Amino acid sequence: MTSSVKKPNAVIAAKSTPEKDTPASTPLICLYGRGVANGYAMGRAVVMGATALEVAHYRIAPTAVAAEKDRFSQALKATSDELRTLAQNLPDDAPRELAALLNVHQLLLADPLLSEETLLLIEQRHYNAEWALTTQGQQLGEQFSAMQDEYLRERGSDVRQVVERILHTLAGTRALGNLDAILQSDDPLIVVAHDISPADMIRLRGARFAGFVTDLGGPTSHTAIVARSMGVPAVVGLGQVRSVARDGDFLIVDGQQGTVLINPPPSQITVYESLATQYADSRYRLLSLLDVPSETLDGVRIGLHANIELPEEAPLALSQGAHGIGLLRSEFLFMSRADLPSEQEQFEAYQSVVVQMGDRPVTIRTLDLGSDKNLDGEATVTINPALGQRAIRYCLARPELFQTQLRAILRASAYGKVRLLIPMITGLAEVRATLEIIEAVKRELQAKGQAFDPNLEVGAMVEVPAMAIAIEPFARAFDFLSIGTNDLIQYTLGIDRADSDVSSLYDPLHPAVLRLIAGTINAGQRFGVPVAVCGEMAGDARLTRLLLGLGLTDFSMHPRQLLDVKQEVRRAHSNALRTKVAGALNRAEAIDPDRLND
Amino acid sequence: MPQIDLLVSNKLGLHARAAGKLTKTAGQFTSDIFITKEARRVNAKSIMGVMMLAAGKGTTVTIEAEGDDAQEALQEIKALFDDKFGEEA
Repeated sequence: MTSSVKKPNAVIAAKSTPEKDTPASTPLICLYGRGVANGYAMGRAVVMGATALEVAHYRIAPTAVAAEKDRFSQALKATSDELRTLAQNLPDDAPRELAALLNVHQLLLADPLLSEETLLLIEQRHYNAEWALTTQGQQLGEQFSAMQDEYLRERGSDVRQVVERILHTLAGTRALGNLDAILQSDDPLIVVAHDISPADMIRLRGARFAGFVTDLGGPTSHTAIVARSMGVPAVVGLGQVRSVARDGDFLIVDGQQGTVLINPPPSQITVYESLATQYADSRYRLLSLLDVPSETLDGVRIGLHANIELPEEAPLALSQGAHGIGLLRSEFLFMSRADLPSEQEQFEAYQSVVVQMGDRPVTIRTLDLGSDKNLDGEATVTINPALGQRAIRYCLARPELFQTQLRAILRASAYGKVRLLIPMITGLAEVRATLEIIEAVKRELQAKGQAFDPNLEVGAMVEVPAMAIAIEPFARAFDFLSIGTNDLIQYTLGIDRADSDVSSLYDPLHPAVLRLIAGTINAGQRFGVPVAVCGEMAGDARLTRLLLGLGLTDFSMHPRQLLDVKQEVRRAHSNALRTKVAGALNRAEAIDPDRLND
Repeated sequence: MPQIDLLVSNKLGLHARAAGKLTKTAGQFTSDIFITKEARRVNAKSIMGVMMLAAGKGTTVTIEAEGDDAQEALQEIKALFDDKFGEEA
């Protein structure tokens, strides 16, 4: 994101010949993954556990069968005891999801499908315990992967994690056997893992790490969430870092580029030391902006809000000076589980954010999932999820689910300033239906004597072009609007950004997109309805001037981007930008955001 | 062998948590307990077996039990289904 930082990739490319101080026999190993938490880290690798692929396969003597079966049964019991102890000693602040997952893992351990078949393989084919277990584990994993239901498919990874845990017990190592050494070390340490399971996460709590790198995982993996909350860089999806890096190897983790360098030459270390210093300096300089007002050179006040996914991210938003939460995604409550969160569970999560934010507003978006996610456990095949029954369409088709969430949000509104945000509204019939349900839920709460904010503001996401094009009645119906640029761009251009064949055509600066944004902001001003942008565009400091030029006064973004954008805001002259942008917009000309510098 | 047909009426079907509850309940009895959906018959004490049935809401499953406590087991399991696995609390 920070354009002032020199691209390390370019540095690597320029260094095809080894330096004098590097043995020629040591090639530079650089792995490419996905950076999910920014920053740079340097330190020693701590490699977590062995993978199922690395265990020994051999046949045992017929006389050894009984002993081998016993060895396996003992390992099963020890693993089960270990998980039970973990579950019993869960810290009070551990996410509830972890307890549920540990419970599933315990049931998997106790499952005869896993144990009996493994014992049979030992007995009949004379496989050693590890071989028998991985064979059966793989077979079960494949059966799960072949299932139609997405939730059930994912249980395959639970089976894999359980198998690995037993393998560690068999090998006499624990998944995090070297944890004590880790906790005592003074050197910066980098966790290298195939994947980090919920049970590992509990044990890693409290340990200090400079960074995380894993073979598997995406931006919403446990690894990513923990790394971001710790403020350390993480690179996931590296594919094979676990098999390349060894304990004690010197690693450079580049969370910006999503790369990991293994045993780099001193010259590379120097390059990264200076990059890390620059990064730290720029973060530090930005921190000095915390206490200055967020306004342009010509005195226009700009709202800077945070997008968060978890209650645990509220402190980060506050630490970066967020004026409030512009987007609390409620999906986190519904993901990675088969059942639905209860009203009380939802209420507690929302209330936690509201209380943490004090008198700052918290905008809670109602469920933005689709039928492709199989929330109700019924396997459905959606031809085109982006155009299917998702977000408000999904909620209106399931009034009970929607009402439960609304009750939880309304109850949380008794504890601070809550705003309700409805995703993917397209037509006025949906507006009426939604507002009616909200009123009905309010009456219900009133009748029950439950407290809520009677003046709770209700807003809509502007993400379907239809709404942006015919915005007036929507601007009249809602208290505020929030432009979700990611979907607005995808629908306007007909581009699926996840499709690598067309992703290069995904253009936030297309004049049609900019006109829709400008038209929405304009309508908001005419009707006296605040308009925010909460899509990725809002957090891209390169586009801050352009959005100011479109008349935007309210931004919402990932907390880590707030100060970068604030810096741009304070350097911009809002009126001059508006004049420049308006002209180009009228002529539907391409706008180069880098040339908007006054 | 004593058996009963039960309708899966909880919203989420026999996935994960409900499967876990069924497995745990079945595991408390010494009887052999099986659950059948269409042609597939699995050990009701196996969470993976039960999950692999992918028995969603509206499906009918057959529970069979054989052993000293077979009748009690069937009663307990029926109660679990009737209670929708405690989901709609």
